Amino acid sequence: MKVVTVGAGVAAAEFVETLRNEGFRGEIVMISAEGFPPYSPCVMPFFLAGDPLETAYWKGADFYDRLGVTPRLGDPVVEVDDGKVRTASGAVETFDRLLYAPGSKDRYPEPSWLGVHGVFGFKTLSDLTAIDRHIRETGVRRAVIFGGGFIGVDAALALWHRGLQVTVVHRNNRLLSRMTDEEGGKFATRLLAERTGIEVRLETRVTAVNARDGALASVDLTDGTWIETPLLIVATGVTPESGPLTGADQGVAVDEALRFDPRVYAAGDVAVTPHAVDGRPGLYALFPNAVEQARVAARHLVRGEGAYPGSVDANVLRKHVDFPVVSAGRFEGEPLTWQDADRFRRVYLKDGRINGYMLVGDMAAAGYLHRLYLEQTPAEREVSGLLSDTAGTSYYRRAVGLAGR
Amino acid sequence: MRKIFVDYTRCVACKGCEIACAVEHHPSRSLADLVGDGRTQVNVRVLAVEHEAFPVSCRHCDPAWCMAACPAGAISRDPVTGAVILDQARCKACGMCAMVCPFDAIAFKVTHASPGGRETAFKCDLCSHRVREGRLPACVEACHSGALAFREHEEVRRDRATRNLREYLLGERALPDTFALYRELRRKEFARRGEPAP
Repeated sequence: MKVVTVGAGVAAAEFVETLRNEGFRGEIVMISAEGFPPYSPCVMPFFLAGDPLETAYWKGADFYDRLGVTPRLGDPVVEVDDGKVRTASGAVETFDRLLYAPGSKDRYPEPSWLGVHGVFGFKTLSDLTAIDRHIRETGVRRAVIFGGGFIGVDAALALWHRGLQVTVVHRNNRLLSRMTDEEGGKFATRLLAERTGIEVRLETRVTAVNARDGALASVDLTDGTWIETPLLIVATGVTPESGPLTGADQGVAVDEALRFDPRVYAAGDVAVTPHAVDGRPGLYALFPNAVEQARVAARHLVRGEGAYPGSVDANVLRKHVDFPVVSAGRFEGEPLTWQDADRFRRVYLKDGRINGYMLVGDMAAAGYLHRLYLEQTPAEREVSGLLSDTAGTSYYRRAVGLAGR
Repeated sequence: MRKIFVDYTRCVACKGCEIACAVEHHPSRSLADLVGDGRTQVNVRVLAVEHEAFPVSCRHCDPAWCMAACPAGAISRDPVTGAVILDQARCKACGMCAMVCPFDAIAFKVTHASPGGRETAFKCDLCSHRVREGRLPACVEACHSGALAFREHEEVRRDRATRNLREYLLGERALPDTFALYRELRRKEFARRGEPAP
């Protein structure tokens, strides 16, 4: 049996490693648009901040050799059809089983901007190595990030850590607007800016990029002002790369074994999966989900059994500065809040169970809260103690029989 | 696999485990060198939960949520001891492991093992280097009250079941009188002061 993966990212690498661990000795081909060993998108911003590139290869730079894989790199897949994949260069690869896991791609407000030297996305290691080269070659000291979601803030922190003067331009009224509710997000935005000195321009968008001799000189904003900068990073959103498989960019619907059809599995940022707690289908593009999906798909391929328990949407942004923002679930229900000058914590309760939560500024008791949420444990009596727990003792209060007293 | 089991009813909060762990994980292995060293790594902490004291460290879960969540490949399982090991050289302190650890047993700081003076996550390594040599984890060796034990899970489960049955059928006390007295005094002291015990 011959197995092909479209993509060589988190899901594809985990899938291949699980196949080998499960005893699969057949031929494996991994096809990627980029030219790297599998890398971790969560780790790669640290490369831009100064860490060695090798640390992004979380399964080792020798991955393809070690696992006996034939890599076909630097050639994106453009079509999947009837046991064959076709790449941009016209090459065709046949398969018995396919894992479709090419991830997602940046969604640019103006694709023409990317023709200007000094404008980059922040989605791939190719983007980051190009940004690194640009900074080194032209001595960039100033950067503008358009987009203040997770990726935009991730980019801003990495460049700030590298010593650049950074401005984040964001259309919403707070950074990390998908990870936070309004109050928590505004709190996080204010403290993140204070702790780092990163300038944040809210309810503003970049409307135009101005080049001088083909290189970026400045960007215009919706408020009528402009910023002189040789570096603009566009992080205004992503779209799943589902086109080559489904003909649309809405993601790939899969069954409980992550199958799109009897021969094709899909995993990672393209897969539409149910939420582990409330069952709502969606694109839950997070590292732990990609790993779990890949494992379930690989074991299913080898053993013919197994089911995916669902995706989590718990995420944390904690990079270069000890100021974490943690969030999970839905911000719907009865809000309970605790805050002081440095921390903001909120839990949304629904039927006495945790429906969603947000922790800004520290992570004491974050893990126990996560568990109560995932297991949907009745937590009404415990929550107020948990919110004000600054020592991380909540789980142990329950363990010694003092919870909720 | 053998793990560290906690009987918090026997913990007298002496913090001998914390000191032994700090020495064991200090590059010089010297108690004197801990003084004033902000990079000292202590993988066990004695939590004060009202009048109770609870020595907390990693439980080396299997499967381990932290290991599945780590996007840096920094967490792995020791093939010999079964311990969940966090390699600080690979850690980026992104917080994913701490976000999912059900026991809140992972913390962050700049330790002697952190690369480039950067903060990393750290946690108990089950003293795997000692266990491989047939020795006990440092905290267990240091615990004189019997609050910490390094044993096989099945063995502990069986013992507890037997003990509970004896207690129920024969009215035998599981806890020696000295411990019972100590716990009673601690409870009273906590109530008197109306504040968390040290």
